[in-house]
Amino acid sequence: MQKIIKDGAIIDCDLNWIQDQEQAIEALAGDQKAKAIIPLTLWLDDAHDTSGVAGIWIDSTENTEPLVGKDLSELAVIGLHFLAFADGRSFSYARLLRERLNYQGEIRALGNFIPDQLGYLLRVGFNGFQFNESVNIEKALLLHKPFSVAYQGDVADPRPVFARR
Amino acid sequence: MHKYSFFVYSNFDKVAPNIICLLSGCSKMYQYDEIDQQIVEERVNQFRDQTQRFLNNELAEAEFLPLRLQNGLYVQRHAPMLRIAIPYGMLSSKQIRKLADISRRYDRGYGHFSTRQNLQLNWPTLESVPDILAELAEVQMHAVQTSGNCIRNTTTDQYAGVIDDEIVDPRPYCEMIRQWSTFHPEFAFLPRKFKIAVNATESADRAATQVHDIGLHIKKNDAGEIGFKVIVGGGLGRTPMIGTTICEFMPRKDILSYLEAILRVYNQQGNRLNKYKARIKILTKALGIDEIRARVEAEWEYLKGRENTVPEVEFERLQSFFTEPAYKTLDNNPSELTEKLSQSPGFARWYERNTFSHKKDGYRIVTLTLKKTGIAPGDATSEQMDLAADFADKYSFGELRVSHEQNLVLADVEQGQLIELWEAAKEAGFATPTLGLLTDMICCPGGDFCALANAKSIPIAQQIQERFADLDYLYDIGDLDLNISGCMNACGHHHVGNLGILGVDKKGEEFYQVSIGGASGHDASIGKIIGPSFSEEEVGGIIEKIVSVYIDNRTEEERFIDTYRRIGIAPYKEAAYAKNN
Repeated sequence: MQKIIKDGAIIDCDLNWIQDQEQAIEALAGDQKAKAIIPLTLWLDDAHDTSGVAGIWIDSTENTEPLVGKDLSELAVIGLHFLAFADGRSFSYARLLRERLNYQGEIRALGNFIPDQLGYLLRVGFNGFQFNESVNIEKALLLHKPFSVAYQGDVADPRPVFARR
Repeated sequence: MHKYSFFVYSNFDKVAPNIICLLSGCSKMYQYDEIDQQIVEERVNQFRDQTQRFLNNELAEAEFLPLRLQNGLYVQRHAPMLRIAIPYGMLSSKQIRKLADISRRYDRGYGHFSTRQNLQLNWPTLESVPDILAELAEVQMHAVQTSGNCIRNTTTDQYAGVIDDEIVDPRPYCEMIRQWSTFHPEFAFLPRKFKIAVNATESADRAATQVHDIGLHIKKNDAGEIGFKVIVGGGLGRTPMIGTTICEFMPRKDILSYLEAILRVYNQQGNRLNKYKARIKILTKALGIDEIRARVEAEWEYLKGRENTVPEVEFERLQSFFTEPAYKTLDNNPSELTEKLSQSPGFARWYERNTFSHKKDGYRIVTLTLKKTGIAPGDATSEQMDLAADFADKYSFGELRVSHEQNLVLADVEQGQLIELWEAAKEAGFATPTLGLLTDMICCPGGDFCALANAKSIPIAQQIQERFADLDYLYDIGDLDLNISGCMNACGHHHVGNLGILGVDKKGEEFYQVSIGGASGHDASIGKIIGPSFSEEEVGGIIEKIVSVYIDNRTEEERFIDTYRRIGIAPYKEAAYAKNN
């Protein structure tokens, strides 16, 4: 079973990130529905009963705007997919989910992000990391905290350095 | 604290404001405290680990690339190039001695001061870079975010704090922005690089703020409160643009949250498919200023008044680092100065061009030019850096600045010491009395060093310097900015030179396109290309012809740019392309 990092520990990934729209629709009718992480567009589509899914995922090319005003409390996971690790849009999305939409569940990084981004990802609100299979997850975990201090506030401690000096 | 915050920055909650005063001239520059020092030291460790993993083949080239770029490390034509940050151009003598020492031991005994007031080393080995960074950290320096698609070194007026007509000293605000932008977790992977410059004077804009992603003009409103006019979407590169005002007055306490709103809009909405359309200037142009303002304000609604609101006590803390040095009570124009000015035309020329009036009676601002003919503009040897440090200690309270025109500045020189300093500076090759004149060029390293360049730029600079070696003629021409870039990335700011030269590739050969009418001050404008490009041998002659048109047409009061604005491009074009008969 694939491993993920969640809240600082390596655990088995028991959820199913479904990238394909058709497969996701099939999953909604199956007995694994409660483990499915389905595309945002599908979750927004009233033609399908998506209640009870584990979560949704948002692509870099999408954004968090459609989630404004929605009840996110039933979602255990919101995944943010990195098309490329240098595509930093999801850093803003995570922050908006935490700070604007007050989402309390797991924000999981998906796709092509890299271990050296862990420090920044944690600070903007990610707490789940489903790396590509080629990544050595034990080594990745060692990189979680390159800095013990920071100038800016972040989701862990919103106070900028001038409020801590 | 949120429940999901399992890595919390708590160990510094109760740090006393314990200033580590490592540098000489303590009263005049920002001094790191334990937090600042810890951040640069941890950065060294992080980069050492990344470099080691790369060398061990544990980190792929493509993944190491942006990581090293965010640390100013390029892989260049001959060797890696390391760009060291000089925040808003300020250096202590101790720091420049360290730069001299590093250039000597890890490079070939020289460095290149850049238009972002930074220092570039052209020949370090990749393996040695972590050690260089560790040595820099010893003197409160680093190479953080000097490259890559992140917020770059904030720049300002090289005369900050020592001129008369400044609204307030911009440096505390630059330092505030430096801290906010350093390792900002949300904005490390932007669509493209992001440059901020700050200006604080009505009379001039020596930081070229209108050609930055964000230009900030410090203002006082009618109530006497300090704030910023915010200009967005300026830039050079292949689509040069002058910035547009997005906000007329943002109170200083709100500026960080407002900057955060701009960056957040840009991070989400900037073009990520085409790197040539990725700067915020393209987004600004595509949406129009009203739409981008509306989007930024919608974002700012949520951010304003929250944690990033800067308290008064923080402004006081930052300002406390930039207090006045121990100036003496002196008179202007001491007799030894006025006598020398009347007796020595060489000294008078240098005084006129390379020194600038100071806010304190009896003092003068001195520019040490790095524009000696035969030397790449902006280059300084280790010996010159050591000498500049000695000059700083002897004549200017141990402090030195780098200007975006790639010169060094001694900000606080007693007028009575100018003669002695001039003699010493001449000997060191620092006193070419041509500041602001045609041969005081901005020039990128070009094809001799840079892997991106289409063409060499340094030989062009030399060719022009040689052609205009006659100082009397040069003085007669007067103020003229000539800027040279070796490719359309425009590191040499050719678009905003009164005369701009751009290296282009024409079927494998190096050619040069000439533009005219650019300017980078408050009256900023983008130059117009005069026509088809020229071969390397032709460039000097063409510049001469263009300058002659100005000489023939100018009125008594007109600078080069003024005449151009009055008569237009046609006469220059005609002269440049006239067939010899």
